Amino acid sequence: MRSPKRSSAKASGRTRRGGSWLLPLLLLSPALVLLLGIVAYPIARALWLSVHRLEILRPDLSQYVGLDNYRSLLKDAVMGIALQNSGVWVAGVVLFQLFGGLIGAVILNQRFPGRAAARGLALIPWATPSVLVALMWTWMLDGNYGLLNDLLVKSGILSRFQPWLAQPGTALPAVMLADVWQGIPFFAVMLLAALQAIPEDLFEAAKIDGASAWRVFRHVTLPLLLPTILITTMLRMIWTANYMDLIMVMTGGGPGYSSLTVPLHAYYTAYKRLDFGYGSTIAIVQVAILAVAIVFYLRQLRANEGMVQ
Amino acid sequence: MMRSSGFRTLLACFVALGFVLLAGAVAPLHAQSPTVVRYWLWLDDPTEPMFDQLVKEFNATHPGIKVEYQFVPLNEYHDKLVTALAGGAGPDAGRFKDWWLGEFVKLGALEPLANSIGKWSGRGDVIDNLWETGKIAAAGPVYMMPHQFITFYMYYRKDWFAQEGLKPPTTFDDFLTAAKKLTDPAKNQYGFGLRGGGGGQDQWLAFMVAGGARLVDAQGKVIVNNADGVKVNQWYVDLFRTHKVAPPSAPTDAYAQVLGAFQSGNTAMFAHHVGSSVLVTTKLGAGSVGVVPIPAADPKKPATMATMAGNVVFAGSKQKDAAFTFVSWLSENAPMDKWSGSRQGQLPVLKSVAKLPRYTENTFFKTSLDGANYAIAWPPLPGVGYVSAQGWMANMQRALVGQIGSKDMLDEIAKALER
Amino acid sequence: MSRHPARRVLAAVKLWVPLGAWLSFVLAPYLWMFITSIKPPAELYTKGVQYWPSHPTLEGYRLLMETTPFLAYMRNSAIIAVSTCLIALTVATAAAYCFSRIPFRGKGVMLFGFLVTQLFPSVLLVLPLFLIMRSLGILNTPPALILAHSTFAVPFSTWMLTGFFNAIPRELDEAATIDGCSRLQTFRHVLLPLSAPGVAAAATYIFIYSWNEFIYALTFTADLRARTLPVGLQTFMGEFIIRWDLLTAGGVITAIPIVFFFMLVQRHLIAGLTAGAVKG
Repeated sequence: MRSPKRSSAKASGRTRRGGSWLLPLLLLSPALVLLLGIVAYPIARALWLSVHRLEILRPDLSQYVGLDNYRSLLKDAVMGIALQNSGVWVAGVVLFQLFGGLIGAVILNQRFPGRAAARGLALIPWATPSVLVALMWTWMLDGNYGLLNDLLVKSGILSRFQPWLAQPGTALPAVMLADVWQGIPFFAVMLLAALQAIPEDLFEAAKIDGASAWRVFRHVTLPLLLPTILITTMLRMIWTANYMDLIMVMTGGGPGYSSLTVPLHAYYTAYKRLDFGYGSTIAIVQVAILAVAIVFYLRQLRANEGMVQ
Repeated sequence: MMRSSGFRTLLACFVALGFVLLAGAVAPLHAQSPTVVRYWLWLDDPTEPMFDQLVKEFNATHPGIKVEYQFVPLNEYHDKLVTALAGGAGPDAGRFKDWWLGEFVKLGALEPLANSIGKWSGRGDVIDNLWETGKIAAAGPVYMMPHQFITFYMYYRKDWFAQEGLKPPTTFDDFLTAAKKLTDPAKNQYGFGLRGGGGGQDQWLAFMVAGGARLVDAQGKVIVNNADGVKVNQWYVDLFRTHKVAPPSAPTDAYAQVLGAFQSGNTAMFAHHVGSSVLVTTKLGAGSVGVVPIPAADPKKPATMATMAGNVVFAGSKQKDAAFTFVSWLSENAPMDKWSGSRQGQLPVLKSVAKLPRYTENTFFKTSLDGANYAIAWPPLPGVGYVSAQGWMANMQRALVGQIGSKDMLDEIAKALER
Repeated sequence: MSRHPARRVLAAVKLWVPLGAWLSFVLAPYLWMFITSIKPPAELYTKGVQYWPSHPTLEGYRLLMETTPFLAYMRNSAIIAVSTCLIALTVATAAAYCFSRIPFRGKGVMLFGFLVTQLFPSVLLVLPLFLIMRSLGILNTPPALILAHSTFAVPFSTWMLTGFFNAIPRELDEAATIDGCSRLQTFRHVLLPLSAPGVAAAATYIFIYSWNEFIYALTFTADLRARTLPVGLQTFMGEFIIRWDLLTAGGVITAIPIVFFFMLVQRHLIAGLTAGAVKG
């Protein structure tokens, strides 16, 4: 079904030979200028830094060290911990944000009085500045006078106040809770937008066939949302992998290294140890891992698209 | 005819010459724009007009210099400074912490001030031993002008102590006894608000030196992980792990949490400095709060820690003299009193100001200034920058939760200091 | 609809209960922030959690407006966010149209390349970007942040919009072409309206990202000429004084413009936009 359309599109591309690659160039040039001009240089510089050892304010003292930084990385125990934490962080946060966002999107897609206001309010976690999200959640999770502990103890679920952010086992999950809260509206909005593309008649047809709400969701909504879910999730995972604001304010990577993620490790190395060479190396290793993951992901995505069609 | 036109031409020439001379006389007045000094600082309460007034006063009394300032929150100050200096767009002068002194001198970022200080009229008024806080080597030049410093002391709940019949602690043993007596987990009440989170390295150092340990010896060699160090550090860790006189949240408690816990009546004692005295007494009332010097392991050898927030001139500045004029002015009598007396004031570094009744009659200031006699600061090693930012915190937390032992923690810190 | 009262009650419950529960989770921490902002400082740290202030006060808000340059921060944030939105959306829409509708070699690689820029933590890009802004001479001006924010917003928006454009069947393009529309007209009258939800979502994302962005705003600005809300809020946290009143009041207010922005924009998130499009 797809090929005839494709070849006709290609045919029209070919008949306008003269414009066939001028137009894309024109349309893409602003984006390319922005990216090549502004972002390519920093990336190139990061790569250059990772193979040098330098004193930040003394460029004359920088030495080329080849892959030494990368070799040190292999022996860096803290890096191993950071990688593990990053994995848990990204997978856990994105999964729950997706789940919460999906529920929100479905709810907010219905028609009801005050929907505009409800949709506006739904954005609040995403609209709140990160520093305040971190401070408020730290306060709510506090082990001495925190709201969450108070409610859990009063309702009998817990017997004592727990110092959520001070225990190696609960520190990262606690910060993840705050990030899940902050990110749910993002998925809600993206999925809500995608839900609009599903024609009403499909829902009507399913209802006429007597399908329950769950079956409609499972067999009509979900498959059609899948492409958007997959792309949004991928982008969100990339962003989450690099997001360290909440962790920095809530635990600083602690206690010890139990909530230290890779970008935070890179930051401390660069700005606190003043070792920009090694810090860049850490960042680049994460880039490489993410890049490989994305390539596999995109392959899977294309295979899925074939099946959905 | 020719004569009158020639006359007119001559007149025109004279008039033109007159204009040129006039312009020449006037021009230097316009070309003489003031030297701009860019100054960075962090301020605890930016809504307070104190600093803005000081700058206006300076600009008015020093017509050749115009100070332009930028507030940067303390949490981001160091990083933003590094980025700006590395990008060749750093300020001319800035407020500075002794934590970063070793690091920045090693980078060649700070201007040695020995000559300028030698010519400064106010140098005799500075409390003598405070010059050391701005030096890397005892015989070397001063890089940082002393401005505001603090020494650590300990707040305690006078009312609770009175109820239990306890006297304010002066020794480690008194301290532990009192802390144990005032700890009641069922009531969510603990004896000591141990600060294991960000910024807690200063409190830790205060107790370490009070216990007899030292970071470096007289020659500057790192000895923090020697037997004394390990013993005192173990004592500190045991407060949390063994005696449980600190709240369970201690490992990641930062300033907001230890202050909050004391204010809300969850802890009986916590270590801090004069900067929080107003906050603490406002909340709890002056009758409930007292201060004592940091208890010492050996009462005959008291010690506490001091940290200096000074002013530096950056080596990359093109206006070093003007910059120095401003930072030295800040350390003169009237500006010093104004700053120290404000809500974000700390201890004045000038003898003349420290004698004022405003400071000698305030028990918090007095206890702090007394402590200055035996206070020890962070050594000016380049590694202190990292240790104060992350190195101490990560390892202290690991020791507090039992992942590593006291010696391991100090070995890591020693390694970072020696780098 | 059904006339059976039981059915209607059930339908109402199926709507309002999940909505209520979901919104409660979403709003609770914000409410806590609001409550904190109306508590007088004396009620902030109490033994045992105090939920409601006994003497609520709007002093924090008053001080925020009168003693801090909060409104200047908000003005800067608004200028930068709106500009970034317009510029980044335009650039991204053009690029997305190209990726979706124009076949050319290397498309996949280029799309992937757009992603690579997002893989780097901003903390490592700060210093090189600072050097670029400095050499362009735009430090401490809104264009510096508009540019920096666009570099982050464009790749993401391009990906999102490409996906939305891809979902619109090409038969519609062809139908329009047969009717005599040029590419531009097809874009304006077919693609853009049908992808309105996607554009709305992308606009929301860009606006919020720019509004709340911190690290570039901190590094590239020096004073009120370009400083934004997140940096301004951070100045209320000092070494030993934390102005909870200003912080929480500021946090409450900062989120509000976005709520209104989205209430306007969400009108484009209406179901049934594509219904009948293929048949008609």
